Amino acid sequence: MVGSVFNIPCVRPSIGMSSDTNGLANRRTFLTLAGSGGIVGLSGCVSFGGGEESGGDDGSGDGSGDGSGNGSGGDDGSSDDGSEDGSDAPETISLGQPASLSGQWDFLQPGVSQATDAAVAHINEAGGPLDAELEVIRRDTAVDPQEARTVTTQLIENDGVPAIVGLFSSEINPLWDFLQDFEVPMVTPWPGSTFLDTRGGDKGTPEDLSDDEWMWRTVVGDTVHTSGSAVYALENDLDRLGVLNGTTEGERSYVEGFLSVYEDNGGTVAERVEVEIGSSSYQSALSRLFDADFDAFLVSLPLESAITALSDWSDAGYGRQPILSDPLAQQDLVDQVGSDIHGAWAGSPGQSGPSYDTFEEIYSEEGDAEINAWTPPAWDAMQVIALAIERAGEATPEAIERNLGPVSREGGTEVSTFAEGKEALANGEEISYQGAATPTNFTQHGNVFGSVTISTASENGFEATSEVPAEDIREYVAEGEY
Amino acid sequence: MGLLQEAIFGIVTGSYIAIAAIGFTLIYGIVNMINFAYGEYLTLGAFVGFFAASAIPVPLPVAIVVAMVGGGVISIVLARGFFTPINHTGPVPLLLTSIGLGIAIRNAIRLFGGRSARYIETETTTFRVDAVPDVSIGSVDLLGGFFVTSEHLIVFGSAVAVFLAIHALLTRTDVGIAMRAMGDDESLARVRGIDTQLIRDSVWVLAGVLAGLAGVLMAIQTNVSSTTGFSHILQILSAAILGGAGSPYGAIIGAYVIGLALAISTAFLPSSMTGLSSAVAFAILIAVLLVKPSGIAGTEVREA
Repeated sequence: MVGSVFNIPCVRPSIGMSSDTNGLANRRTFLTLAGSGGIVGLSGCVSFGGGEESGGDDGSGDGSGDGSGNGSGGDDGSSDDGSEDGSDAPETISLGQPASLSGQWDFLQPGVSQATDAAVAHINEAGGPLDAELEVIRRDTAVDPQEARTVTTQLIENDGVPAIVGLFSSEINPLWDFLQDFEVPMVTPWPGSTFLDTRGGDKGTPEDLSDDEWMWRTVVGDTVHTSGSAVYALENDLDRLGVLNGTTEGERSYVEGFLSVYEDNGGTVAERVEVEIGSSSYQSALSRLFDADFDAFLVSLPLESAITALSDWSDAGYGRQPILSDPLAQQDLVDQVGSDIHGAWAGSPGQSGPSYDTFEEIYSEEGDAEINAWTPPAWDAMQVIALAIERAGEATPEAIERNLGPVSREGGTEVSTFAEGKEALANGEEISYQGAATPTNFTQHGNVFGSVTISTASENGFEATSEVPAEDIREYVAEGEY
Repeated sequence: MGLLQEAIFGIVTGSYIAIAAIGFTLIYGIVNMINFAYGEYLTLGAFVGFFAASAIPVPLPVAIVVAMVGGGVISIVLARGFFTPINHTGPVPLLLTSIGLGIAIRNAIRLFGGRSARYIETETTTFRVDAVPDVSIGSVDLLGGFFVTSEHLIVFGSAVAVFLAIHALLTRTDVGIAMRAMGDDESLARVRGIDTQLIRDSVWVLAGVLAGLAGVLMAIQTNVSSTTGFSHILQILSAAILGGAGSPYGAIIGAYVIGLALAISTAFLPSSMTGLSSAVAFAILIAVLLVKPSGIAGTEVREA
């Protein structure tokens, strides 16, 4: 017999209705099975607690968590002939830019897109690399590894770009071998992951491609700015720490980098709680965390989850000193959490490159997107690729890879823009690009070093209040391991 | 913090889920479809509430009512547009249509609503009760001081109001009784003169109203974005199945079991496993279904 779905007997079927009730029973059984199957199916798309998915970013993706595959809507159109033919004088050279146009990190993309576009405009105004017009094909990955895999393949194999300008840690790490197989240089302003500390670059042998790992980053790695943050915390007598972090690759990497320096230099972790991103409440996690005794607590979560968590923290009145991962130094955080967050600080890659002022002037003419920690590195990434093409005399992946180190490392005429570099190269000089974010002296592993800016939350938002010089941090990062 | 505080957190989480799960399970029980687009109903409700509170603007209680009305309207429009025309085709086409509709709505919201999360401005007051004695068993404190916030009270109060209203609707009104009749046997209900299409429409409106309420409450606690509802659909679906698919009362029980499991597992799992609290909730779901496939409050569907 069929029971009432409401547990309140209402209309009881007669014997004569048995075939119908069989049908109902079977349908219900099917629906139950389909529902259970749906959970399994959907669980691959979203996190249980919500998805900002996210992020996404998690061994498998800190993306948007929508599972909708909203990926590759190119918004820049495609290039024409590009440099596929490897001719000496291409009319157009196209570079590929996987981008976070959607997903939980999309709030960082406007600044990076504007920096990229400003760099392209500046480079073209200076005549372009090899006198060709430079263009960027930008496609959305939502910071999802699977989307990144598709987009990168499209850019390289369909569009024939000779270099990639982009990709996040959460995309690079799980796709490392896949990306290496392309043997196309990838210069990215995004990844902070410690995974890249000893991976990437030309190993100090520009002409020998056999040992190259084709990945370069123009942003200082987590090792550098987490070290700077840890040093700053210890200098301020914050010796015991609580940690609240998401389970994604980027957030774990940030925390691991921070703790390695913090604990090696006398700091103690009293409690660490990992949480799923996108939850509607973090009170249980905070309750557990604040049962421990510590001076400060480190938060490494995507912005939206961090706002929820820190609002919960504010409501509960737990107090103590918040230390934030660098993506959290956003006005929205201060606006939503309120005055309790005043005094929280974040250490982010310093904007102290030799050509920062030049960059800022050109950037501000391009639009009004807010500058974030990844904006100047995006400018630098475009400059070094264009200079590498100019020095190489051709726009092939191999030629660009061979020249990224030589145009950036110490030695030669220091140049702060493509225009200066093109002129110097035309005069037969060697050049050393001096970047906007850092001096952009690539290490053998394709990394850059720079200072760390401490930004503190106040009623006016996050304001730079201190700086940890690169030299102070360098002593915590072993030679050859970055 | 003691177990009592964790229980409060779990009850609040369960309240969000329960309000939405009732709407979800009503559709399941009466329309005979699993509506995977239901998360987007929550999202749309959240957006309606947000625009009412910020663009018009109206006081928050009014914005919540506007979100509920908006949710009901959106639900019936979507049902009339996409589900009613294929209602005769059975559960599989309806299920697949709902998946497709959910994806389409989610991306349309992202396209037209922008990328950034939006926030509904609220003032939160915290109430503390410290005079509760500690009662410990081992290292676990069963009672101890606790706090609740005004948001917690609003969410829990809204959930209780919904439970009472739903119970009254189903037991005291003709429409509610007709819904139960259709849930038991649609053919027999039709023979008895019930306008089944009207009842279906009523269910869609009711489910939309509940989705609007749940969506705007979630938005107050977190934010309004294209994934506000989608990110909770697994919890809602799990609560409905755990409680006994099709049973509103079961959905309430299931929602609170999941809410409490999430809160307590976060509090007591080893440090390295705190990110797995949702896995514990799923483990409970699987265990319950193995023992009682019809769910906690569901009645066995078997032929003698």
